[in-house]
Parts: sequence; structure tokens; C-alpha cells
Amino acid sequence: MAQLFHRGANHVAKASMVAVVVLGGLVFFAYTQIARSSYLTNRYLERPQPVQFSHKHHVGDDGIDCRYCHTSVETAASAGMPPTQTCMNCHNQLWADSPYLEPVQSSFRENTPILWERVHDLPEFAYFNHSIHVAKGVGCSTCHGQIDNMPAVYQENTLQMEWCLSCHRNPEAFIRPRSEIYNMDWKDGNLTAEQRTELGKEYKLRSRELLTSCSTCHR
Amino acid sequence: MNNPGQVESKKEKGKGMKKSLVVALLLFTFAFASACRYDMQDQPRLKPYKQSDFFADGKGMRDLPEGTVARGQLREDKVFYTGKRPDADPNVQIETTTDPSGNTLVSSFPNDIDYIPMPVTKEVLDRGEQRYKIFCIVCHGPVGNGDGMVVRRGYPQPPTYHDDRLRNAPVGHFFDVMTNGWGRMNSYASQIPPADRWAIVAYIRALQASQNPQGFGSEDGARQTASNANTNSEAQNTNGPAANTAGNGGANQ
Repeated sequence: MAQLFHRGANHVAKASMVAVVVLGGLVFFAYTQIARSSYLTNRYLERPQPVQFSHKHHVGDDGIDCRYCHTSVETAASAGMPPTQTCMNCHNQLWADSPYLEPVQSSFRENTPILWERVHDLPEFAYFNHSIHVAKGVGCSTCHGQIDNMPAVYQENTLQMEWCLSCHRNPEAFIRPRSEIYNMDWKDGNLTAEQRTELGKEYKLRSRELLTSCSTCHR
Repeated sequence: MNNPGQVESKKEKGKGMKKSLVVALLLFTFAFASACRYDMQDQPRLKPYKQSDFFADGKGMRDLPEGTVARGQLREDKVFYTGKRPDADPNVQIETTTDPSGNTLVSSFPNDIDYIPMPVTKEVLDRGEQRYKIFCIVCHGPVGNGDGMVVRRGYPQPPTYHDDRLRNAPVGHFFDVMTNGWGRMNSYASQIPPADRWAIVAYIRALQASQNPQGFGSEDGARQTASNANTNSEAQNTNGPAANTAGNGGANQ
């Protein structure tokens, strides 16, 4: 019987073993990059809104505190979207006749809500509560980025589980004093690692086991 | 020889059919599994502010029916929740004047209480400062002169806190304006809970003291201011002096 394989087949077999590992690794790497890409996570995607509302103007230029509109951020799971009346606190006088504000005016006139496009859309099997994060020293800009520089709000982070866990595994790297929660210019480097560890003790942060337990976020 | 072969080929045929069945089943399962994923991402339950096709107005969050009282929200303590005296007369005529920038100013305060109906501690004042700097500072400015950022952008200037009219106004007036609005100012009742409104009132008193140290600094001055306030409301308020001291004492801390 003739040889089925010629001599060179041995080398092909050896090379193929390496190639499988390398190619498999490449494919896996490509998968992780695609899964984290803004194409799939909608990161950095500015969404068209019914009103050209600019956080850059209201927060950055006017210095209005986050809580003026997002009133329930300290007390509830949802930070709270302002009712149209909150807009009218100022815009009953300012730019009251501007066509840009017509959707706001008509919402107020007809008592119908403005249909905002949700920017941060967590999957609904994940439980999230703003108030506990704010109470434990996680500032707005830690997750939302520098909102005061965003004419149209976009998602600053991937909102993927690995991103949540990067902080839940090591919250001391990200927390800040309670007085600086709403400071958009805060940098993690403003405190030393030791100071942040102290802060974590002061906040009585839960153990790693509890913070990374499945049922902390999937309940 | 032929028969076994035939049997074998039949067996193989059967194997092939089984295989394709398994593949079909797997495909079926995966098709549903991927559907499950999206079902779990966007579940049929309603999160806050989500739209709903079920209700005619499209709102997933329902407005409370008129007159609903949640547990602990009965608001029996009328004085605390309105800033008005228990025997307040809703039909009483309030005197007003108009200032050059077109604001209608209240100059008589017949119904407003002139004491803060909760203990004013350092914590309350700090809370008041914090809340003032969120909600009030935008128009009334950091010290209450009425030069906030929104005013600089063109909003009509509100009256300053630092004139005799508002220094002598009973604290209930400030609470009432926050609760119900006045002039161009909208109600802030939905943005600021009642206890925080009183904390802000206390902080406004502290601001007034800071801008008029002669009036509040010395005991004589404090007494004088207190008695000024009393002359405004003495006729209606039976426990005026004691209560007023409490109010001013809070602001002085």
C-alpha cells in the first residue's frame, strides 16, 4: 500500500497545531475587541433628542448643580428626570419665545411629557441604584464622564459587566469625598491611594465578596 | 455479503437523519436562546420613565389619583407644611408694592409664622446651605442679592434678601414662597421636600445676619430686629416673642 501522507505532512501537522492556537487566539482577541467596541456598546454615541438640550451650557456655563434637575439622585434608584415645570422655572422668562424651546413650551402647555431618548440603557437584568453610589462616594463624573463638556450627552463608558466589576472589585480606587460628588472636574489623583483607603473605611464599604456577589446586581 | 452491506447503509442513512435532526434542534434552540437574550435586556416590566402602550397618555409611571395619601404623608402638622399660622385667614388682604424691576413685593405678612417649626441645629444650617446652593443660588446669588447666574443671563432680578422688608419678614413667608411660588418664581415644592425648605429658610436668616452684622451681631441689635419682626405680626401671634427668639437664634448659629 502506498503512503497516504508524504514526508512534509509531519511539518504541516506540527505547524497546524501552532496555527490553531495562534488563529484561535486572534479570533478570540478580535471577539473581545468587537464586543467592547462602541459599535456594540453604543459608547460615545450622541443620540438625537427632541430638544437640543445642552448639559455643557446648563452645567458648564451656568453652573447649575446636577441635583437642581435630577432631584432624586440622593434618595432613589433613578436619578430623576425633571418635569417640564423645572425647565419653566427659568424658561418662562429666558428664551421663552425661541423656536428651539417649542417642544418644551408645548409639553408644558398640553401637559404631555417630552419623549427623551434614553442614553444610558442598562440591561434590565441588572439592578442599579444611584443613591447608594452617591452615598458611598462615587461621583457623577466617575461613570458619566465630564457632563459639563457634553453639548449632547453620550455614554462615556461601556456599561458592560467587566466595567462595573472593575470598580466593585476595587472601589477605593474611584471614591471621593462626599462634598465633591457633583464636582465635574474631580480627578482620582486629587487624593492619594492611602487617603482613598481611609475614605473607604469611613464609608464602611462592603467586602469584596459582597460587592462582587452575583445577587448584588442581579436580584 | 450484500445483505449486511444494505443493512449498514440503511443504518448510516438513519444516522444521517438523526444528525440533521440534532442540528435542526440545536438551531431551533439557539434561535430561541438569542431571542431570550433580548427579552431579558428589555423586559416587559416598566422601569422609571419608560413609555407604555397600555395607558392612553403613554406614560409608564402613573400619576397618583387626586387626594392620595401615602403612608406617613398625611401632613397633619399644617404649620410645618404650610408655614402659616393655625388660625390663618385665607381671605385676608395682603399688602403689596411694586419695585422698579417689576417685582410684586409683599409688605404685610398676616398669616405667616415667625418661628421655624423644627430645631435649628448646625446640621440643619449646613443642609440649608447645601440646598440653597443647589436650588436658590441660580437666581438669588451666593449671598442673596439677586445676582445669580440665571439673572446675569437675563432673568428679571429678584428682590434682595438684605433690606428691612425681608429682614423683618416672618420665616413662614420664605417657606410659603418656596412652597407656592411668588411673582415670577415657580413653586419649588416638587424639587425641595418640606424639611429642606425650612433648612433653607434657616440659611437665608444666616445670610441676612452675615450681610447685616450690626443688626444681628450685638444682643441689642438682635433684640431690635426681633422686636421689629414682632410689631409686624404681634396682633395675630400670641406666642410671638418666644417663638421669634427661636427663629433668630437658629439663624445666628
